[in-house]
Amino acid sequence: MIKFTKRTLLAAATALPLMASSVWAEGLISIIVNDPANPYWFTEGEVAKATAEELGYEATVAAHKGDTNTESRLIDAAITNGAKAIILDPANADGSVGVVRKATEAGIPVFLVNAEINESGIAIAQLVSNNAQGAALGAVQWIEAVGDAGNFVEFFGNPADNNAATRSNGYNTVISQYPDLIKVAEEVANWDRTQGYNKMQSIMQANPDIQAVISGNDEMALGAIAALKEAGRLEGIIVGGFDGSPDAVEAVRNGEMAYTVLQPVAVFAREAVIQADYYIKNGTPMVADEKQLFDCLLITIDNVDNYTAPFTLTN
Amino acid sequence: MSEIPGETKMAETTGKPRARGGFDIAHLLLEGRAFFALIAIIAIFSYLSPNYATIGNFLIMANHVAIFGLLAIGMLLVILNGGIDLSVGSVLGLSGVVAGYLMQGVELEWAGVILYPPVWAVVILTIGVGAFVGMVNGVLIAWFKVPAFVATLGTLYVARGVGLLMTNGLTFNKLSGTEALGNRGFEWLGFNRIAGVPIGVIVLTLVALIAGFLLMRTAFGRWLYSSGGNERAAELSGVPVRRVQVLVYMLSGVCAAIAGLVLSSQLTSAGPTAGFTYELTAIAAVVIGGAALTGGRGTVRGTMLGAFVIGFLSDGLVIIGVSSYWQTVFTGAVIVLAVLLNSIQYGGSGKRG
Repeated sequence: MIKFTKRTLLAAATALPLMASSVWAEGLISIIVNDPANPYWFTEGEVAKATAEELGYEATVAAHKGDTNTESRLIDAAITNGAKAIILDPANADGSVGVVRKATEAGIPVFLVNAEINESGIAIAQLVSNNAQGAALGAVQWIEAVGDAGNFVEFFGNPADNNAATRSNGYNTVISQYPDLIKVAEEVANWDRTQGYNKMQSIMQANPDIQAVISGNDEMALGAIAALKEAGRLEGIIVGGFDGSPDAVEAVRNGEMAYTVLQPVAVFAREAVIQADYYIKNGTPMVADEKQLFDCLLITIDNVDNYTAPFTLTN
Repeated sequence: MSEIPGETKMAETTGKPRARGGFDIAHLLLEGRAFFALIAIIAIFSYLSPNYATIGNFLIMANHVAIFGLLAIGMLLVILNGGIDLSVGSVLGLSGVVAGYLMQGVELEWAGVILYPPVWAVVILTIGVGAFVGMVNGVLIAWFKVPAFVATLGTLYVARGVGLLMTNGLTFNKLSGTEALGNRGFEWLGFNRIAGVPIGVIVLTLVALIAGFLLMRTAFGRWLYSSGGNERAAELSGVPVRRVQVLVYMLSGVCAAIAGLVLSSQLTSAGPTAGFTYELTAIAAVVIGGAALTGGRGTVRGTMLGAFVIGFLSDGLVIIGVSSYWQTVFTGAVIVLAVLLNSIQYGGSGKRG
C-alpha cells in the first residue's frame, strides 16, 4: 500500500514540471516535422516555432519520423488541442493526403513545408525548395569539379519523398550530357548518414575505381565521406551534397566535400508561419498559388564564410 | 503450492484467504495495478490538459490503441504458450501491402486480364497471408525446434523485405476503389463509426472477446496455458503441443493481418514500412498486463489494460506537447515498472502468489 502511494506521488511529482499552459495566447500552431535528429528538420521546426512565438502564438514541435501512422496520431492530437493552424512536413507524398484532408475537414488550415503531397486544393499552401533548380545548380558545380570523364556513384533519398526523384532527375539531366561520365552505382540510402556509410563501403568493394560521388542530401554524402576516409580513399574524390547543413558546411570548409546546395529552409519555415498567421487573421490565403518554390543557393569553399547560422547564408 | 495453471488463474481471481487484513488491500492493488495505472494516467492528464478527458478524445485514443491492441492479443496467445513472436510488426506491414496490391488490381498477363477482387475477398486473402506467415513461424518452431526468438526474427526480416520488394519502397494509395469495378468500401474499416464508436475499436473488442472466450472456455485455451506452463508435463498429459504451437503462431499472424487491414484502411494507404518496431509495443502491452514472459500466465483483460495504458500515456504526452523523446523514456519506464511489479507478484517461490 505504502509502496503504491509513494509510486503515485513520485509519478505525479515528475509530471508536474511538464505541465503545459492550458490557455493558448493567440492560439496554438502545431508544427510537425520529420526527424529532429537531422539538423535540417531540426532547424525547420525551431525556426517555425520561433516565428510562431514571435507572432504571439503558442507553438509545439512534434516528429513523425517518416511514419504515416505517427503522423496521423500527431494530427489527431493537434485537432484535439484545437490548433489554429498546422505546419506539416508530410511523411509521404501520397500517403499523407488523407491526414491533410482530415485536418482540413476539422477546420484547421494546413501549410506544408519542404515536401509536397500529390494533390492540390486541400492544403492552403505548399512551400518547398526549388529542388529542380537546386539540383541543376549542384550538378553544374559538380561537373566543374569532376571534369567530363570518370566513374561516379549516386546516392538516392527516400523514394516516398518526391524530392529524391526531383533531385536525381535534375542531376541526371546535366550529367547525361557528358557520355564519358559513367555511373557505376546508384543506391537508395533514405536520407540517412549510416545507410550512406554502409552502402559506400559495399560500393567501394565492388568498384575500386571511383572519381566522384553525388548525393541527394548532405547526410548521405557525409556517410560516404566517412566511409572513404576510413578506407583512406577520400583524397582526390569529389563529393557533392544537398541541404546546406552545418556538418556539411564544415566538411566543405575542410575540403572534404566539394560543395553543397543550401535549401532555404529557414526562409520558408518562417514564411509558412507568416502565411498561417495571415490566414488565421483574414481567412484567405496570403499568396494565391498553392505551390510556392524557394530558390536554392550554392555553398562552396569560396563563400563558406558567409554561413553565419544553420541554413543561413548572409551576403 | 500447486503449479497447475488453472488453479493459479483461480487464485488470481478469487483472492487470498483473509489471513491478514491490511495485506489484502495491498494485494488487491497489486493485482489490479494495470487498472489503477490507467485511472492514474487519465487523472493526471485530465488535470494537465482540458482537451484530454472528453468522450471524443477517448474514442480517438481508443482508435489508436486498436492497432497495438490487436497485435498485443496475438502476442499474448504466443507468450502464454511460452514463445514469442517478433514478426508481427512486419506481418502488419506486409498485409497492408498485400491488401493494397490486391485493391490496385492483379494483372494476369497470360490470361490478358486484370482482376479486381471485391473488398471481402481482399480481406480474406490478406488474413490468409497473415496465417501463412504464422504457419511458417509455427512449423519452424514446433517441428524444426528453432528457438522462437530466432525463427520470428528471421520472419521479421523476410516479411519486411517482401513488402519492400512488392512496392519498391513506395506506397499503395488507390485503396478507395471505384464504383465501376465494384470494389468500394475498403476505407469503411478505418473511417466509419457505428453509434459514434470507430470501427477499429469495435474490431478490437470483438477480437478480444473471441480471444478471451478461446482462452477461458475451450480446450484449446487449456492446452495453451498448460503447454506454456510446463511443456513436458503437457505433452505427457496428452496435449497436442506441436499442433497447438503452429496454431498459436497462425493466430498471431491473423491478428497482425487484421491490424494491418485496420491501419491501412485508417490511412487509406499501405506502406511497406508500416508497423516498424510495433512488435516491441505489443510485448510491452502484454507484460504491463501481467503476463509472464516464460509462459502459462496472463489474461486478455490484462493485456487490453496494458495496451490502453501505453496508448493513453503516449497520446497524453503528445496532447500536452511533450517532446517525443520523453515519450520513449516514459514508455520504457512504465515497462520496467510493470516487470518489477510482475516479479513482486509472482516471485518468492509462490509465497505471495
